[in-house]
Amino acid sequence: MQYVWDFRPVWLNFGVLLEGLVNTLKLSGFSIGLGLAIGLVLAIGRLAPSRFVSIPATAIIEFYRNTPPLVHFFWYFYGLPILTGISLTPFAAAAAALSVQSGAFFAEVFRGGIISVDRGQWEAGRAIGMGPAQLMRRIILPQAFRRMIPPLMERSFELVKTTSLAATLTYGELVYKAMVLATQTYRPMEIYSTVAVMFFTVLFIVSLGMRAVEHRLARLSAR
Amino acid sequence: MIAMNYSFQFGEILANTDLLLRGLKLTILLFAIAFSGALLCGLFISLARASARRVPNLIATTYIEIFRNTPVLVQLIWFYYALPALSGWQPSAFTAAALGLFLNTSAYCAEIWRAGLQSLPAGQWEGGRAIGMSEWQLLRRVAVPQAFSRMLPAFTNRGVELAKMTSIASTITVQELMYEAKMLSTQTFLPLETFTVVAVIYFVLIYPGTLAAYALERRLNSKGA
Repeated sequence: MQYVWDFRPVWLNFGVLLEGLVNTLKLSGFSIGLGLAIGLVLAIGRLAPSRFVSIPATAIIEFYRNTPPLVHFFWYFYGLPILTGISLTPFAAAAAALSVQSGAFFAEVFRGGIISVDRGQWEAGRAIGMGPAQLMRRIILPQAFRRMIPPLMERSFELVKTTSLAATLTYGELVYKAMVLATQTYRPMEIYSTVAVMFFTVLFIVSLGMRAVEHRLARLSAR
Repeated sequence: MIAMNYSFQFGEILANTDLLLRGLKLTILLFAIAFSGALLCGLFISLARASARRVPNLIATTYIEIFRNTPVLVQLIWFYYALPALSGWQPSAFTAAALGLFLNTSAYCAEIWRAGLQSLPAGQWEGGRAIGMSEWQLLRRVAVPQAFSRMLPAFTNRGVELAKMTSIASTITVQELMYEAKMLSTQTFLPLETFTVVAVIYFVLIYPGTLAAYALERRLNSKGA
């Protein structure tokens, strides 16, 4: 069978796909920001001396790391409103699910970074009278940060791919726009292939950038 | 208004466990097919990637980059909705999902194999060649047995990722656990309970994998390998 390619539906609707890509990036950026904040809180919670704090933080981290993101998307969109009485827009539900889910992964990166700082640094900070918050902000995090950058980038990269699941909640990101176009134009092959190429282009450039940063960091720490 | 006095109705969900169990069976089948296939296929891709010859190297590298730099949802949709238009072959939803997950996981496994095989000291390869082993013998008798234990934590983590990814098959109508959950939630009008129960099922299924990876890593570190 000879397939006749027809990319006209793609070019005619390229604006729609670009709009989807912009929404993908919007959701990614928002969730990475919120996820980092949640991750830092969870990491500090897990390291807290009080068990009433560390056990719930650990439970949240382990639960979200070991369950599929798609379940969380559905839980936040269809389940949570029943509990709270507040219904979320597809964007809000997707952003909430993604932020908490990747927050759990970010938390482990933060925790790994924090405990990798030499104990003497903690003791010295305390000796000159710093409080825990000051110690964390001025001494520990700046030192741990460099080590955390590569895994944080890695997780953020995974997050961008996971945003595609927001299509199942009808949020108009790239995959959702493609699904709508595919049913309108009957050209699934051309449209989905174009979408794959669009994702690949963005993500490949990002991964090249990540490699460059990792290289720089490795050189810096070798010095 | 916050409806904190919401009374959970887990009874109705638990009465439908047979439905969820049927879905679970398909989830496990998807996982088993994709993972066993990917472990083996990943080795061959990594060999092609490590090859000094340009063509196999280029093909393997392209393959790995494509699958790692696109969302798995797009891959599954592509195999199910796009490929039939081109090839005239309409795979079933299950076949498309198994194929997509298998090819995706193969790309990641190939990178694990590559790192594992590279970690062997060069002397091992030279020693094997010196006593007249063929490349295939060398791989099977010398390289893989030594490298495998070092790669085990990474493979286990990949398995965990794959187990989570199987839920995406529901979007192309594979009737696995997540799909049955969606059905159940619309039938019972109890999405909160349904997705909570299903999240717990996935957790019980997947968490032992993560614990195993931790334990394997610890053992490896204490051996100083």
